[in-house]
Amino acid sequence: MKTVIVYKWARNPEDAAVRADGTVDWRNARMTAGEDDFAALEAARAIAPEGELIGLTIGDGDASWALARGVLQAVAVTDAAPLADNAATAAIIAAAIRRIGGVDAVVIGDSEEYSGVPVALAGLLGWPAVAHATSAEAAGGRIRVVRKQGRNDQTISLATPAVISIAAASPEKKVPGMKELLAARKRPITRQTLADIDAAGPDGVTTKGTRLPDGAAARLFDGDPANAARQLVAALRDEGVL
Amino acid sequence: MSRTWIIVTEEKPVAALAAAARALGKTVAAVVVGPRALADAAALAGPDEVTWIDAGQDRGVEAFAAPVAGLIAGDAPKAVLAGASPESRVLAGRVAATMSASLVPGVLSLSMAEDRIVMDRSGLDGRVIETLEAAGPVVAIYAGDDIPAATERSGAGAAVTPLVAEGVADIVIEKTEPAAGADAGITKAQVVVSVGRGLRKKEDLSIIRDLASAVGGEIGCSMPVADDLGWVEKDRYVGRSGQHIAPRLYIAVGIQGAPQHLEGIRGARIVVGINNDPEAPIFKASDYGIVGDLYEVVPALLTALCN
Ligand SMILES: Cc1cc2nc3c(=O)[nH]c(=O)nc-3n(C[C@H](O)[C@H](O)[C@H](O)COP(=O)(O)OP(=O)(O)OC[C@H]3O[C@@H](n4cnc5c(N)ncnc54)[C@H](O)[C@@H]3O)c2cc1C
Repeated sequence: MKTVIVYKWARNPEDAAVRADGTVDWRNARMTAGEDDFAALEAARAIAPEGELIGLTIGDGDASWALARGVLQAVAVTDAAPLADNAATAAIIAAAIRRIGGVDAVVIGDSEEYSGVPVALAGLLGWPAVAHATSAEAAGGRIRVVRKQGRNDQTISLATPAVISIAAASPEKKVPGMKELLAARKRPITRQTLADIDAAGPDGVTTKGTRLPDGAAARLFDGDPANAARQLVAALRDEGVL
Repeated sequence: MSRTWIIVTEEKPVAALAAAARALGKTVAAVVVGPRALADAAALAGPDEVTWIDAGQDRGVEAFAAPVAGLIAGDAPKAVLAGASPESRVLAGRVAATMSASLVPGVLSLSMAEDRIVMDRSGLDGRVIETLEAAGPVVAIYAGDDIPAATERSGAGAAVTPLVAEGVADIVIEKTEPAAGADAGITKAQVVVSVGRGLRKKEDLSIIRDLASAVGGEIGCSMPVADDLGWVEKDRYVGRSGQHIAPRLYIAVGIQGAPQHLEGIRGARIVVGINNDPEAPIFKASDYGIVGDLYEVVPALLTALCN
């Protein structure tokens, strides 16, 4: 099953500092893959043998992330960045997938910050999709995924071609070592531009700035622990939660 | 202005979706994919019109993306709102693609400025609110708080019009079974005392246990305490990939308050953070907090609780 694993290489939102005036300082933010991307890659590997797996990323980050994790070839659309309009981001990815051609399955991380991208991608391709799965496998020409729904695990089967978005359950446990990183360097990356794949990528959404969330700050007790503890217990009794 | 549409696949967010849609314009139309009971519940929760697609027993709700998109795109609305569940999102994605609309996740509220839609969205794991403006039509994935449906509504709610769906995709639910740990004690507890890596060694769990019993609660923990350290059973860790709980009181002891952890306590009523770092993110998510060493604070709490 020809499978594309889509991974993101963007500034890590956890590294962004929020200033007192609510503006965001990205200066110390490192480029990193999405935190769900390694789990998506695991799922993609369970769907397709090595030879049928293709990495796809947008932006000018390190496209070899997937190559260092066993993927044999990758495509990077270098002049595209994740946009505020998730449908515009998805349109770029969809154009790249059409350009790759003959794809049976697209597997992509289900990041909270860009949770519209996988589903808009499925919509643009017109393919069936399941979002927020935890694992996937090929089964008789179809794809079978498992998803947590409330307190249940649901097993769902989809016809191909299909889009699956995967939510990671934990941080990546085994990061590639020097050997894998060196092997990745020898593997081919096809670099394309938006013009190459006929994707205009207009952003239909403009940002007007950021601010701090309102909502009351926590009532903090500090200083002498005995005193702080007494105040907290009194407050919780007043709330009626003790 | 034409209708504002909302996409409904579960009951929880309907009232909030309808209220947010109401802020944009006159008529709020809902498309409901699921059982009849869901359509009836949605009809009472705020929309003016309800179109209902029966999802049947074993089709995934996502299988109805094309008919939902056809219905909504045919009406050419300026805004569509969907809940944030995975099923709703898949429908929203297809609607956005069919309408050539923008798709924005994490939306907390919407308003009109002249003919443009202005949205506040939650960004950076809730650390900022970003204001966005869309030139064209928008599909918004709504992430605001749920609100209870108004119980005082007069009349019988909106009329429900069934729609026979065409172009249903091949997405089949093979089985549904309770997830591991789904019935763990922590899931129903009214009070949970949760411990993180601020605890130095396993033996020290005894003070956390004492605190839990003093407040009549169950023990919970952050993921590493169960997963990496193995100090607490795995079905007690709270968060995105662990338990999602809604206790009346949640006390987080020596827990940083990572966004993945906080995902598990969105339904908690009162959150208390105990951490020696005044900058720990847990305090941003807390109603009350004590800044201090848990090894001093927890014994002090035990004493205070006895009085
Ligand atoms: C895909 C993914 C999914 C995840 N899912 C989950 C999940 O479901 N649940 C979850 O919990 N995590 C999850 N995580 C991990 C999460 O990102 C954090 O790493 C984790 O929650 C941190 O646990 P902690 O707060 O106990 O530890 P730490 O981050 O080490 O924090 C310990 C805290 O204790 C404080 N402390 C230290 N000593 C003391 C003392 N003496 N007194 C008081 N305070 C003290 C410190 O100031 C610090 O804030 C996930 C991560 C990923 C990438």
